[in-house]
This record gives sequence, C-alpha cells and structure tokens, in this order.
Amino acid sequence: MKRLLALLRREFWENKGAFRTTPLAVGGVCIALLLMAIFTTAHIDNELYTFREAMRLLAQQPVEFRAEHLYQAMISISVIFSVVLSFVVFFYLLGALYDDRKDRSILFWKSMPASDVQTVASKLLAAMVLVPLIFWVVFVITQVLMLITASIMVLSVGGNPWTLFISVLNPLKPWFLVLCSYLAASIWFLPLYGWLLFVSAFAPRIPLLFALVPPVVIAFLQIWIDFLRTFTFNNSLFGIIGEWVANSPVIISIQIQGGQETLALGIPYTSSFDHALTIGNILDRLFSLQMAGGLAVAAVFLAGAVWLRRRATDS
Amino acid sequence: MNPIISARGLSKRYGRTLAVDHIDLEIPAGRIVGLIGPNGAGKTTVMKAILGLTTFEGELEVLGLNPAARRAQLMQNVCFIADVAVLPRWISVWQLIELTGQLHARFCKDTCLKYLAKTKISQQHKVRQLSKGMVAQLHLALVMAIDVQLLVLDEPTLGLDIIYRKQFYSSLLNDYFDDQKTILITTHQVEEVEHILTDLIFINNGKVALDCGMDEVENNYVELMVAPANAAAARQLGPLNERELFGRHIFLYRGVKRELLEELGELRTPSVADLFVATLSGDPS
Repeated sequence: MKRLLALLRREFWENKGAFRTTPLAVGGVCIALLLMAIFTTAHIDNELYTFREAMRLLAQQPVEFRAEHLYQAMISISVIFSVVLSFVVFFYLLGALYDDRKDRSILFWKSMPASDVQTVASKLLAAMVLVPLIFWVVFVITQVLMLITASIMVLSVGGNPWTLFISVLNPLKPWFLVLCSYLAASIWFLPLYGWLLFVSAFAPRIPLLFALVPPVVIAFLQIWIDFLRTFTFNNSLFGIIGEWVANSPVIISIQIQGGQETLALGIPYTSSFDHALTIGNILDRLFSLQMAGGLAVAAVFLAGAVWLRRRATDS
Repeated sequence: MNPIISARGLSKRYGRTLAVDHIDLEIPAGRIVGLIGPNGAGKTTVMKAILGLTTFEGELEVLGLNPAARRAQLMQNVCFIADVAVLPRWISVWQLIELTGQLHARFCKDTCLKYLAKTKISQQHKVRQLSKGMVAQLHLALVMAIDVQLLVLDEPTLGLDIIYRKQFYSSLLNDYFDDQKTILITTHQVEEVEHILTDLIFINNGKVALDCGMDEVENNYVELMVAPANAAAARQLGPLNERELFGRHIFLYRGVKRELLEELGELRTPSVADLFVATLSGDPS
C-alpha cells in the first residue's frame, strides 16, 4: 500500500503539467471569460441599466425557477472540465507504459522493489481516481470563485446576492453529481483504459497509431463483411464504441425533458439507458450487463499490459 | 551457506542465436566478482537474467529466488545499475531520493546525502539538467545508500572522470562492501577494478571461459618476459599466449613451475587484461 502511494506520487510528479496545470488553466479560462463578460457588459451597458433590469426580472421569478437554472448552469460548466479531463486521461494512459521504455528509465524503475502489477495499478489508479479528483477539486474552487465574482458584481449595483441566488442555491448537489459522474465514468471506460495501457505497454513506437489503427481496421472489415451479407452498416466496432460513449455516465449533452432542456448523461440517442441526470441512472449503468462485459474485456487488456510490462526492458 | 547466485545450464536464445550457452555459475556471499567479456559475449544477458529482466532456460536462483518470477521481491535485497544515464529525466534529485526512500526499505537518506555532498549535484536539480557524469554520480550515490545483499553494476563508471572513478571504487570497497555483501561488476576498464576483485569470470560466445578466484590467478598464472634469444626455449614450455613488447617476448603460462621459468627471464603476475586476451585468443571458438 505504501509502495502504491509512492508510485502514485511519482505519477503526479511526472505529469504535473497535465494533472495540475491543465485543470488550473481550464479554471482560469472560466474565470477569465466571466470577467470579460462583466467588463463587456459594463462597457456597452449604459449605467448597467440592462443588467439591473435583468436582476430585477430574475428576482421576480419563483425560487424553484432560479434554483433549477442555477443548478443547470453550475453543472454545465463541468462539461468543459470533463472534455479536457478525457483528453488528459487518454494521452496519459497512452504514454504511461511507453515513455520509460523509450527513454530507457524502465531499467531504473525495474531496479526498485515494486512489482509490475503495482506499477500498472498505479497508472490505472492515477487515471481513474487521482486525475478526476484533481479536476473535480479545481472545478469546485472555480465555481466558488465565480460565485464570489458574480456576487461582487450584483453588490456593486446595489443588489443583494444572498436573496437573489446564493440562498436558493445548493452547490453540494451539482458538485456531488459531477464527482459521481467522474468516478462512474472511470469504471465505465475501463475497457478503453485497459486497451490504452495495453497499447502503451506494447507499442514499439507511436502508441497513438497502435491504439487507433487496429480498431479502425477491424471496424472497416466488419462493415465490409456486413455490407456484403446484409447491405446494412450496423453492428461494427464503431457502432459498439459509439453506443458505449452514448451510454456513458458523463454529463456531456442536453435532452428535452418535460418541454425543458436539461443536461443529460451520455448522448440521448440510445434507449438502453435513461439519460436523465440522476444518481440512480448512474448506478444503473454500473450494474448493467454491458458493464459486466466491459469489465471482462478490461481484465483481458490489463492482464496483457501486466504481462508485457513484466517482459519489457530497454531493448 | 547458500550461494548468492547459482546457475545450472543457464541459456538464453534470441531467435536462432544462443546468446548464453548453458552457463554454470556459483557465487557465494562476500565476493566482488568481475564479469569480463568482449562485446556481444552475453554478459549483459546473464546480468539481465540474474536481475529478473529477461526470461531464460535452465536453472537460476538468486538469493534463493527465481528472478524471472519474483523480481519485485528480489529487488528488496538486490540493487543494480544496468547502464549509465537511465534515471528518468523529468525527476528532480529530491524527488528521486524521496521516492527511493518510500520504495526501498533499506535505503538510508543520510548516507545518500553524504555521497551527494562530495559532488556538485544539488537537490533542486532535475536529472535532465545534469551532465552524463553527474547522472552517474547521482545513481551511484543512490545505490550505495541502499543496504542490499547483492549489488550488480554494469559499466557503472562510464562517462565519469578518473578522479571520481577512483573515489567511487575506493568507497565501494571501504564504506560499502562487507563480508555479507556480494558485488558483481562488468566493465571494459578492467585495470580499474582488478585490484578490488576477489573473483573473475570470463565470458566469451555465451560460455564461461574462465571462472576462478584472484588468488588462483596469482598462484596459477605467470607472465614471463624474455629476450629474443630465450624465446624458443620459452615456447617449448607450452605458453597460453605470446606477444612482443619493445623487442622482448612475453609469454603467459598456466600451472608451469616458477623455477623452470625463472631461469629464462623476468616473472610477474599477469594483469586481468592480459589474462583476458590470452584466454580468449587461446579459445578456439
């Protein structure tokens, strides 16, 4: 356990730019955009008349209306973080077992009494838990700063931020939902993570190429064979991966529910799961047959990654 | 006491070439063994097998463990420098020390800092900022601070200046080594290590060409330097090898009585390098 923590620390040190600087930059961009919007308003809005009007109209709305919109707004900011997070995790895993083979430092790591299972586990845990947690913490801090900024803006024109939005808001719910969605997504995408680690342990060079070419070739062959047989284009590997992403517990799209636009889990073009954003629906995915199959696939890839890592040296 | 390393019929095949060809080895505790061989002789492969970095055929036990299956467990009592400059380039010195301390139960931070104090390396440096020689110094400081039973060094001083090389081997012998420890060294700079070695193993074409203690070398091998007039007589005594230097002939003998040779010329104990050349050139393969 102590070794695993030490190895996790190593991952953080090695990837500080991706793990720490990137989410901070995303948070910085969010706050910068908010400030720019404020300055633009202050610049073109004479005496902030329109802003005051908007505040007055908002204050007239029922509490539930304000609470619901604020809640949606808070969660929608997480989408930016989620998209960047997915890129960070993707490229991190692709290099995780490749970089030290390339620069030969694998010989140093192998001189340490850490097993290959521990090494692979540390990389997987970094991708599944450490990075999402850091992104989530920065996301929360960003929102607090944005709320403070907005409050100052409202105060500066004589409004009362407390009665206007702070008192109606329960930030814990959106924050908790985003955290659950991040951790659930880590489990949901385990087959993908397993594949990336496997490629990372295997690729003699350019892991990205080795990660993308085999699935593309398989999918094209499937489509071709399927087309010859049935003149349809369904059921290829592309279809499966597409459906997997669409079914994922990531808050990424919008669906119309009860005549209202709300944020949704995955992309609501599939019907195998309910896409409404609830904890129940997130859990529903984790305890599904698809997930069980995905875990089996992930286990095969991860075992392959460990097997390759055990045999890997500098040559 | 059980040997630290014992190999029976150790072999390794790369494709159709047999890089290591049924090697038998027995290395007890408390030795400093030089593993010497020409390029491509199979030294590195033997070392990799010992360190659990490669699969192999035959039997091999290091500290009673099969290295191929139990590398992580083995590394608690084995340390190695497989080559120079393999430290990760992104890491800073203090992180490296911290990490080694957390991963290695037998690492002593103070000892490491003591060795580092003799160098120009600061804890804030990143490995990528260090010169090749400094990286080697850092790696050696780390390794010398880990108290293990077996230390394996593959060309440990490549890229180091002569002052530091001398320093390194003397602290290796004086501060690090004791009768519980075993050190296995490969190097091409044989003359630098021969005075600290207790045992010698020559490897050529994947086979052990010579495996003996340094005292045996002194007792059994002798070099004879003769004037050209005595060369024919010296040749009669069956030397392993003959070479010429400044018009004098130098012969290397094994197990020939010193009294016989003394009459012909000057005697001396051969250097490991000379012995190496003689053994390998006498080897028909």
